[in-house]
Amino acid sequence: MIFDESTLRKLNQLSLVASRIRKGAIKGERRSSRRGSSVEFADYRNYTPGDDLRRLDWNLYARLERPFIKLFEEEEDLAVYVLLDGSRSMGWGEADENKFDYARKLVAGLGAIAISNGDLLSVGLLQNGRVSAEFGPTRGGAALSRLFNFLEPLQAEGDTDLNTSLRHYAVKPRRPGLLILVSDLLSAEGYEAGLRHLQGRGHEAALVHVLAPNELDPPLAGDLQLVDVESGQTQDVSLDGSLRSRYKAHVQEWLQTTRADCRKHDIHYLDLATSTPWDQALLLEMRRSGIVK
Amino acid sequence: MQFLAPLAFWLAVLAIPIILLYMLKLRRKQVQVSSTLLWQQALREQQANAPWQKLKRNLLLLLQLLILAALIFALARPAWQTRAVASGSVIVLLDASASMNATDVSPTRFEAARKTVRALVDELAGDAVVTIIEVGYTPRALVTSTSDKAVLRQAIDGAQVTQGSADWQSAFALASGAARDDQNITTVIVSDGGLPESGLPALAGEVRYVPIGVTGDNLAISALALRASGGGLQLFTEVHNFSDTARSVTLSLYLGQTLFASRPLDLPAGKSASITLEDLPNAPGIYKAHLSDPQNSTLDSFPLDDTAFAIYQAASARRVLLVSKGNIYLEQLLASLPGVQPYRAVPAADGTIQIPSDPFDLYVLDGLNPPGIPAGANLLYVNTPPNPLFTVGSPFTDMKNVKVNEHILTRFVDWSNVHVLQAKKLIAPEWADVLIEADAGPLVFAGEQNGQRIAAVGFDLRESDLPLQIAYPILFSNLINYLVPPSAFDASRSLEPGDGLSIVPDPGVEQILVATPLEHAFTLRPEANLTFTETDELGYYAVNFISKSGTSVEYFAVNLFDEAESDLRPRETVQVGQSTLTAAVAEKVGQREFWPWLAGLALIVLLVEWQMFHRRNLSTLLETVRPKA
Repeated sequence: MIFDESTLRKLNQLSLVASRIRKGAIKGERRSSRRGSSVEFADYRNYTPGDDLRRLDWNLYARLERPFIKLFEEEEDLAVYVLLDGSRSMGWGEADENKFDYARKLVAGLGAIAISNGDLLSVGLLQNGRVSAEFGPTRGGAALSRLFNFLEPLQAEGDTDLNTSLRHYAVKPRRPGLLILVSDLLSAEGYEAGLRHLQGRGHEAALVHVLAPNELDPPLAGDLQLVDVESGQTQDVSLDGSLRSRYKAHVQEWLQTTRADCRKHDIHYLDLATSTPWDQALLLEMRRSGIVK
Repeated sequence: MQFLAPLAFWLAVLAIPIILLYMLKLRRKQVQVSSTLLWQQALREQQANAPWQKLKRNLLLLLQLLILAALIFALARPAWQTRAVASGSVIVLLDASASMNATDVSPTRFEAARKTVRALVDELAGDAVVTIIEVGYTPRALVTSTSDKAVLRQAIDGAQVTQGSADWQSAFALASGAARDDQNITTVIVSDGGLPESGLPALAGEVRYVPIGVTGDNLAISALALRASGGGLQLFTEVHNFSDTARSVTLSLYLGQTLFASRPLDLPAGKSASITLEDLPNAPGIYKAHLSDPQNSTLDSFPLDDTAFAIYQAASARRVLLVSKGNIYLEQLLASLPGVQPYRAVPAADGTIQIPSDPFDLYVLDGLNPPGIPAGANLLYVNTPPNPLFTVGSPFTDMKNVKVNEHILTRFVDWSNVHVLQAKKLIAPEWADVLIEADAGPLVFAGEQNGQRIAAVGFDLRESDLPLQIAYPILFSNLINYLVPPSAFDASRSLEPGDGLSIVPDPGVEQILVATPLEHAFTLRPEANLTFTETDELGYYAVNFISKSGTSVEYFAVNLFDEAESDLRPRETVQVGQSTLTAAVAEKVGQREFWPWLAGLALIVLLVEWQMFHRRNLSTLLETVRPKA
């Protein structure tokens, strides 16, 4: 399990908090299906596991022998796509500061928020330039434990080519929705083109940038050969005070550039150090950055 | 510039292991990071100032190579060619006489001479053999025939200036011995020129003279003497002006710390003036004469001869009066004893004896006890007459079992061959120690009563064969030295620095402690032919005689009454053998090595390298233990 019992309770509580925030925030934009009384048929869509069977058009099923869900004008659920970077670099960080563990908790939290709001949730693991594992789309309370079961065995391994992975994800036609990418962005090819591509498909993009504290300020000095855990590439450095401060400055500059870039392209952006408690990240930081409304 | 040990450059191959070790050491520690992307970008920025970074990275190696280079150059002994006073093998005669204490050259002439010799040694070729002779009152070779410059420098630093005259004859003898008729040797005389005008032997090889000193401005007390005259003391002082201008000075005379006379003196250039003070109180003590300039706090550049001391103590010769009708044995004995001034009181025609009114240190009463002997006088009775001090009985002839008692006065007295015909029976009083006795009674005793020392011999010398025996002078010398102790030394004579002082302590003295003017202490054991030679310092010395009965102090003075030393005028020339030497000029080719500077540079670079290494290591350590944010 990703979450122990107490964490799960906390998560439930969080989801409630998130749900309240969502309700308050979305008034006038989306109406909740539970409250909607003036039901007006608009369209059909394919049944996906987890859809409310009460909305299944049994007549149509009898005629065509395929399940379709009736859509109503007022009912507009949100498709939420959470993409998790599963590269080896994400496996960096000791114990609580491990980026992948931290990212999994964020995904689980975001999933919990989405499910509790009846949104359609999909989770994808990006590895080796493709989507190596996918969860959903699904909705409904039971999906949460399945989401946990999906996240549990995931490992951070393989290379990341975010652009390729994101393009790969975009190949499959999906309902436009909120797309959240959780990654350390340590990808030589970059992520911008991929995200732009998805934005082009009508998705609203959000980027959660996760870094370990020792990436922001590495506790290293002396003559070292740095080995990239992901690519195995080496880099010789003679680390003294000046190079360290240059590195730190460079990291900050990188974060600033990424933030500015995202703002420019209308991407919600949040950078998180794994030293930030993940619940605080969900409750405060994501709200602040507009990922959770 | 030349290299005296060019083979040292072979050590440059040591650079290879240093570089190899550095390369091995630079095998970097592998550390895993999540991604090298950010590092590569950060490093890319660093490339902008790459040459400096490269240098910085290899700075330790460069410093190590610099240290090696400096050391190799130092070992190769680089040297500049210079002009020197001498070259080849050299004998240096370094004047260490009193005049070298003069301060006309800062700080002193001797230090200037020392510096000159050091420079001379530094400029000699590496294989030059050098002998350095310090010329004081006892010339000594500080170092003989060595080319080791460290030893030479140490010897030069160990040279000491004296306060006495220089013995140039002995120094030249030493130099001749060291030269061993080597015609290629150069003898360098570093002196202010106080060499004898003539009589110095010629030296083998070349002789060069390096004069020291600039001015001859000096006044000196050239004599200070005391003598008893009539009822009082006469003090004679002579002051000499060695400068080229007339001077007015004040001569102050002290007894102990008390100023008792002060006289102004006007001294024309090169002249002397004397003062004689008559009828001073007959007070034993330390007399001091001091010259000062009423206009100026410093009199001259040579203060050693501005103060002199004289000691007056009771006459050293002991006055002994023999009262006898005629005794050839006693007369001859008293005449032969050292430090004894014998007098004889002869009976007048009527048989009476007139005792002189002048007091004597000792009265020897040979069978007589005439009136007029002062009360409390030291007495030696021979053939003891009846007297008020002890009982004298009738003569006896029974000389059985004559015994010489163990006593300091009977040391070395062999009585075995002495025969006495008859002796008067003496009753030894309580205060006396019986020295020799027969069964029938004491023959000789001695003792002290209320400060009066008395000895008695019970028989007539002519009625024994004692005067023919060796025991006679020993016994009587012991007795007389006991009754009137001799002065341990002659204090009336002023010594020159380096002179020996013969000390004859009392028999009872166990230890002698000599305190010098600069308060150094020397402990001496009383022994025969004791001579104190540590008279290097000018001033007065206190000689403490420590015996069981107490401590007595006597003084003697050491003064620089030496015209050759007081005359500070630097000599342009000196006469050695048949040749006259003038100031030497630097005309030989010398070498000045500067490897110590290179060694110093290596040390400084080593310190810098050490500090840089530790700064790097320290920062590494700090980074790795830094608490995580």
